[in-house]
Amino acid sequence: MSAIVETERLILRRPEAADLPFYAAYYTGSRARFVGGPVDAAKAFEKFCAMIGHWAVRGFGRFVFLARGEARPLGHAGALRIGDGGPAELTWTIWDGRDERRGYASEAAAAARDHFFAATGERGMVALIARDNAASRRVAERIGGQLDEEAASPPWSPGAVTYRFAREVAR
Amino acid sequence: MTVAFAEPATVAIPTLTTARLRLRAPGPEDFEAYAAFGASSRAAGVGGPFGRADAFRNFCALIGHWRMRGYGRWVVAERETDAPLGIVGPMYPEGWPEPEIAWTVFEAAEGRGVAFEAAQAARAFAYGTLGWRTAISCTLPGNTRSEALARRMGAVEDSVFQHPDGFELKVWRHPAPEAL
Repeated sequence: MSAIVETERLILRRPEAADLPFYAAYYTGSRARFVGGPVDAAKAFEKFCAMIGHWAVRGFGRFVFLARGEARPLGHAGALRIGDGGPAELTWTIWDGRDERRGYASEAAAAARDHFFAATGERGMVALIARDNAASRRVAERIGGQLDEEAASPPWSPGAVTYRFAREVAR
Repeated sequence: MTVAFAEPATVAIPTLTTARLRLRAPGPEDFEAYAAFGASSRAAGVGGPFGRADAFRNFCALIGHWRMRGYGRWVVAERETDAPLGIVGPMYPEGWPEPEIAWTVFEAAEGRGVAFEAAQAARAFAYGTLGWRTAISCTLPGNTRSEALARRMGAVEDSVFQHPDGFELKVWRHPAPEAL
């Protein structure tokens, strides 16, 4: 799966080296508290390398998204599979707080989800979100995620709540 | 939503061939060997052992490093069988004192000079193709096999690197290109 995905307002493309300063600013800052951060610059570099390499290992991965016509990356969204089986994770993140509340995360995540389903033929995805991350949970609900209160969170996302996405609801 | 298929955003990872080995791009087929190494006591020499999820992230990062820096570590494979024997090559993680030549061999390759043969090829690549004027290698305290390899490569003890995660690494300085 190798693609550029376009939405009404956004371009989703693979992560590039020039994105690192924006990604690192996010992961070394307080906004990363919901995803196990903040971390130091060395760890942010490792995590960004892993985001790039995931594409080569799995054939799918997380995109970096930008507003059309702008050079500054806004965040990442896409599919992730750390464990050996089970549904892929759908993730989304706005890197800088000033880009929140514009619906970018919902637009990027929905496009990445639809693209994943179309490209892989898989039937389900899950989003694992920190219980108190209200903004991210609203995104999950806005794009059709079904809260699964029974689901256990995996070791790499302790205490997360699970939202399920089925291919049938993807538009 | 429109979808346009583009060329894969990959970096061309070169292949090096030595008498017995092929240093090639890591691929999904190598992950099991890498995860087995990560779970073993041998991984203590590189800050492990680590679980499968961490091994997966480390393995992805190994590949992503190529894209970030333009160089990185190869899977060292047996020429005859393509079986993965270890991970060797130039790397420069964020926070490192300077770029290094790193080596790791899996258990099956121990005692056969695999790391030496691969590390020599990697150093020649760093000096010849990447144009490095100097190179270091880092070892964890007590990793005597790795220290022995550093000496066999002609490297000498240089300094101590205080890793941000709170441990020390011994820094070995390789002979300069013109001294080889």
